[in-house]
Amino acid sequence: MVRESTPALTIAGLSKTYDDGTVGLDGLDLDVPAGEFFGLLGPNGAGKTTLINSVCNLIRTSGGRIDVFGFGHETMEARRLVGVAEQDPNLDRFLTVRESLVYHGGYFGMSNGDADRRADEMIDVFDLRAKADVRTSKLSGGMKRRLLLARALLHEPLLVILDEPTAGVDIELRHDLWNYIRLLHEQGTTILLTTHYLEEAESLCEDIALISAGRIIARDTPAELKRRYDATTLEEVYLQTVSTSLPTVMAAEEERS
Amino acid sequence: MSAADRTAATPPPAAAQRYPGPDPARSMRALVLRECRRVTRLWTQTILAPVVSSALFILVFGLSLGSRIKEINGFDYDVFIVPGLIAMAMAQAAFSNNSSSLLQARNDRYINDVLASPMQPWRMNLGYMLGGVLTIGVSLVVIALPLTGVPIERPIHLIGAALLLVVLFSALGVVVGIYAQSFDHHSFINNILILPLTFLGGVFYSIEILPSPWQELSHANPIFYMVDAIRYGFLGASDVNVGLAFGFTALVAVAMVAWAQWLFQTGRKLKP
Repeated sequence: MVRESTPALTIAGLSKTYDDGTVGLDGLDLDVPAGEFFGLLGPNGAGKTTLINSVCNLIRTSGGRIDVFGFGHETMEARRLVGVAEQDPNLDRFLTVRESLVYHGGYFGMSNGDADRRADEMIDVFDLRAKADVRTSKLSGGMKRRLLLARALLHEPLLVILDEPTAGVDIELRHDLWNYIRLLHEQGTTILLTTHYLEEAESLCEDIALISAGRIIARDTPAELKRRYDATTLEEVYLQTVSTSLPTVMAAEEERS
Repeated sequence: MSAADRTAATPPPAAAQRYPGPDPARSMRALVLRECRRVTRLWTQTILAPVVSSALFILVFGLSLGSRIKEINGFDYDVFIVPGLIAMAMAQAAFSNNSSSLLQARNDRYINDVLASPMQPWRMNLGYMLGGVLTIGVSLVVIALPLTGVPIERPIHLIGAALLLVVLFSALGVVVGIYAQSFDHHSFINNILILPLTFLGGVFYSIEILPSPWQELSHANPIFYMVDAIRYGFLGASDVNVGLAFGFTALVAVAMVAWAQWLFQTGRKLKP
């Protein structure tokens, strides 16, 4: 059973070293309270996607602990509570839009009836009705992005992880998506967002963490971060914090390439 | 109408968590059905191709050699080769289907939808295997058997042998699909390992007609025992002790399933 007071995400000493020796995460600690709209910002290669993939069981971590609403992240209970929309569209090319949603519901243990009904809801919410019977490989980039979000939300997760969900998305769709995500958040869903659009993060997120070289280098509300770094925008905060740790990030990037 | 407007018409999502705990059996069933769907979507490659190639083998070898080789072990040549050809078609179809399915899922990363789900590793393993086993096994038997007209002397043995064979090669397909970095690797295993061993495994002849040391060497070929087990199911006759043929096939099948299970359990090659 999930308690209101339990943090949505508790990460302690999380580390990940890839097979080629690259350090993706370096003893990272992070708590995300339940019901929060949380932003994770950082340059490319800083460890955002590694962190997200660790929470979602998509990489093998090297050390540390991750709890999702108090459940170890590898447990079936924790997995059910997380929905993720990954950065790049990773849709099953052999399935239609509707099938992608229904099978996803199945993977998450939903009954046929629940999965069908929920797929219909998501198809309507994300305006996919006209493409419901089209194979995912035939969808435009924007439609794929909608479907990714629909799939992430289908099983009604309590923690929704969005890895740059509006990358390459037109303004109208971005506006639509944020409105829906806001609504989800108002209804109690915890949102963990990574984005390169800092103005989006500033307007949406209650709490923001800046990550660099696999560690959290700053974390607070947007207002407090700006005050602490004597900045007028989040972009200034970002540039100040990231630039101080950029050499480390660049070294990691070089090592990886 | 915006997404927020549209959602106003839907029941409140998220926080309520309206569904009961995940049903692991449903998770696996969904994966099996997804694999079946893929097989049927690609039916020209997954079902038609092996049936046509087997039919061609029967036609060509039956016509060309059938008139010259009257009987092998008391059976007409065109009857003798059918069990081996069906075994070969099943093995290749099961391997190719599972291997390419996993490889595509890894390359396009939609396997993440399965890996992130509340599905135990053993159900993932079984789900991927069963999808191919069910569709290809049933399809080939239903389509191929009526075409051959070959009698089935021991149906229980045949079902058991076919099941072991398809499970073995499905599991091998899962393993190769997880390790392979490209379709070249998948093709390499099929063309350099499975096909030659199948041809040398007594599909077209009885190893009793081979001179030494080829006859002895044939006993080291694992596919020989599988072909022999299938032939026993069809014709009621085999080159080696039927218990040995079944036992060896089962042993290799268990080893392959265990290997695939280890990969799902540890996440090696599936997760960076």
